[in-house]
Amino acid sequence: MPLLDVRNLTKNFGGLRANDAISFALDKDELLGVIGPNGAGKTTLFNCIAGLHPVSAGQIIFDDEDITRLPAYEVARRGLARTFQVYVASGDLCVLENVMVGAFMRTHKRAQARRRAEDILERLNLRELAGAMVSELPVAAQKRVSMATALGTSPKMLLLDEVAAGLNPGEIEEILAIIRSVHRDMGITVMLIEHVMELVMNISDRIIVLDYGRKIADGLPRQIADDPKVIKAYLGERYVHEHSGEAT
Amino acid sequence: MDILFSSLAAGILFGMALSLVALGLTIIFGVMDIINFAHGEFLMIGMYTGLLTAQAFGIDPLLTLPVAAAVGFLLGIVCYLGFIKFLLRGPMIAQLLGTFGLMLFLRNLALLIFGPNDRALHKGILVGKSFDIGLGIVIPATKLATAGLSLAAFGAVWLLMNRTRIGKALTATALNPQGARYMGIPTERMNALAWGIGGASVTVAGALIVNFWSVNPYIGLLFTMLAFAIVALGGFGSVPGAFFAGIVVGLITELPGFWDFVAYTFEFDWMSDVPMTSFKYMWVYVAYFVIMVVRPRGLFGWKH
Amino acid sequence: MEALKNAVDFSDFPRSDLIIAILVGAALLIFPLFPHSAFAMATMIQFFIFSLYGMGWNTIGGYGGQVDLGKAQYVGIGAYTTAVMLIRWDIPFWFSMPIGVLLSVSWSFIIGYPLFRLKGHYFAIATIATSLVLKDLFEVWGFVGAARGLEISPIKYAPPDFLRLIFREDVYYYYVIFVFFLLGILYMNWFRKSRLGFQLRAIKDNENVAQSLGINVHWAKIKTYAIATAFVSVVGSFHACYIKNIEPEDTMSLNLSILIALMAMLGGAGSLWGPIIGAGVLIPLKSYLKEWLGASAGLVGIDLIIYAAIIMVISAAEPRGIWGLVEKIRRRRSR
Repeated sequence: MPLLDVRNLTKNFGGLRANDAISFALDKDELLGVIGPNGAGKTTLFNCIAGLHPVSAGQIIFDDEDITRLPAYEVARRGLARTFQVYVASGDLCVLENVMVGAFMRTHKRAQARRRAEDILERLNLRELAGAMVSELPVAAQKRVSMATALGTSPKMLLLDEVAAGLNPGEIEEILAIIRSVHRDMGITVMLIEHVMELVMNISDRIIVLDYGRKIADGLPRQIADDPKVIKAYLGERYVHEHSGEAT
Repeated sequence: MDILFSSLAAGILFGMALSLVALGLTIIFGVMDIINFAHGEFLMIGMYTGLLTAQAFGIDPLLTLPVAAAVGFLLGIVCYLGFIKFLLRGPMIAQLLGTFGLMLFLRNLALLIFGPNDRALHKGILVGKSFDIGLGIVIPATKLATAGLSLAAFGAVWLLMNRTRIGKALTATALNPQGARYMGIPTERMNALAWGIGGASVTVAGALIVNFWSVNPYIGLLFTMLAFAIVALGGFGSVPGAFFAGIVVGLITELPGFWDFVAYTFEFDWMSDVPMTSFKYMWVYVAYFVIMVVRPRGLFGWKH
Repeated sequence: MEALKNAVDFSDFPRSDLIIAILVGAALLIFPLFPHSAFAMATMIQFFIFSLYGMGWNTIGGYGGQVDLGKAQYVGIGAYTTAVMLIRWDIPFWFSMPIGVLLSVSWSFIIGYPLFRLKGHYFAIATIATSLVLKDLFEVWGFVGAARGLEISPIKYAPPDFLRLIFREDVYYYYVIFVFFLLGILYMNWFRKSRLGFQLRAIKDNENVAQSLGINVHWAKIKTYAIATAFVSVVGSFHACYIKNIEPEDTMSLNLSILIALMAMLGGAGSLWGPIIGAGVLIPLKSYLKEWLGASAGLVGIDLIIYAAIIMVISAAEPRGIWGLVEKIRRRRSR
């Protein structure tokens, strides 16, 4: 039984079809990567799954429940969390407090929320920064805080939206390790949108590729890398033509 | 039936005057996101200007309009450059409270200068005259002139916004301030201009209204609230919206009078327990609330 | 109980702040023992009243970021409930006050549900509209005395009457409201650390992120609005027993609503001490300006002109209020 089952998801913004009949499924122990050129509809897909946009057509089944029509906070309560490009819950709260906001979803007690938050900060190497204000932190740390905030809600599945953007290779390694740890040690299913190819190829069990709102490929990282449709989407028809026949 | 028609006529005419009052507010809001609590005070200043100029120079009140317009234009620009400009940098609560401060300031300044008593116009070409257009409708000449001039003013503003370069620059600034700046449109000047035009329209409205409504320093708040309701109903930033919503609000304020009449004539005791005219403005607020919940964009609004 | 511990735990404030707070608290405690004029006493009581109004407003307006300019209607509901119950049925304050809260909170839920679908300016205007509507209704409603209002005559009772809160000397009122004041501070200290407090701050910053963290934004706002309402209603009930003369024009006016918001903004919305500082500055200022420059000086309105100018200057120059300024200076120093 897949944890997340997306069937024919379509999202229109007026005349623009941002997501066109996208279907895929994700098992509990998989880590799925979502790639595609800019404007392919990746973030829209996340927003639809997370309940921030109403869906134009299709179904989203999470943990055996149809969450298609649920508002974002109900989706979160069922265990589906996401990170945002705008990093955190509140710029006026310190790192620990930000994670507590998420933790408060599962408990009413401050002490419990605090413990849960400290636990997460520990796992993400953020312990020393617990009292810092988010805006004062370097980008790499901010990304981790963003993940920590989402993890505060004790989710079953985490949607990561371009966590590696703007990081240098060393920081990418670091965040790769953290994502792996979240996935394996915390047992959280992960789906991530990425542009940074080394990260995605390295970490994903499977990858889906979007282009102009449609899913054009779905398979193992190796298969995706060789798929001419994918290469064409990124680099154009001419490139494929000129380079056809080259082995990888 | 006669009474119904005359209530309707009164409502429409008053409504057109209100539209003009609201016009200034919607222009300003269209160009920059700020709600001016002192709007009614500008109206009050326009009323005093009209009244005093007419009395001082012994001229007809209608001729005071250009003076009122000039005063309003200056007032708007001075307020913008001297104060509002700084408010825009802060959070919304500071803006709301800041314009509220401006309201108190202007109101009490007027109190200091003019004293608390009502003043009204007693002389003038139109004062005291009316037209009987049949169907039992008797229209005071002043209200008719106000409505006519309001229409003219709306027409002028519409022409300004849509047919002149300056108007288009204003609209551009309203729709996309950044983009307008890139196109070389001086946003600061546009903002000040919006306040100038907005100020002028409401002071002219004041100079017109003083023909049939007496003025005192406290009169501003009521009109501010009515203007807010009109602008919200018509859609923030929409000029035609302000026109039609003004008429709607005018009708809302007149119809309770009609209700009372019906209750009295037909002896519906349960209806006449409390004369509805005590709350005629209350219904405007209720209408505002209902419309905001049901259709927040208002009739013609494009800005949210 | 954990909640109680949280309420009295001020440890996350810097030492210096706590020392000042304790000193000020002590001064307030012994104030009535020193020679003072009746006017000064009355001003102090108003200070406590408005601090509480401001604290209540601060929950939804400061922490929540929704500018509510219609709080006066709840002052009215609280005040009138207490006054009517005392005058007609001789029901003491300690019973009528909670009933007032119940009525106020019920009304707040009824209008809160549609109200919070609005945001920003639309929301602010709608709050004004509802308050004006209620005020207009009270002005024509015979049961509550219509525009003339209600009067509680102390001769009918035997002061000092702690049950009905009728006293001859102001000093009793002083200590009663002082206790409420302290309780209010403890509550706000608990609130800012509570689940709802955290949720509000996330909501204020970015509603989408808040939603994704499992927060039902609409419901959180409504709950907070109810809390603000309860604060204001309690103090409204007290006001009825203290002033003994209430009418819609002073108890439910727009001026009052705005004054309440002003306390919090001037002092620093969204902080614990803000509304108190705001009230501490604004109330004496307003009272003494009126005393010295008001009608007695023959220049009607000058006190309000100055008061208005102060509002304008603060709004334009330091919208985060006095506390915001303090924090700004502290942050610069620590660099």
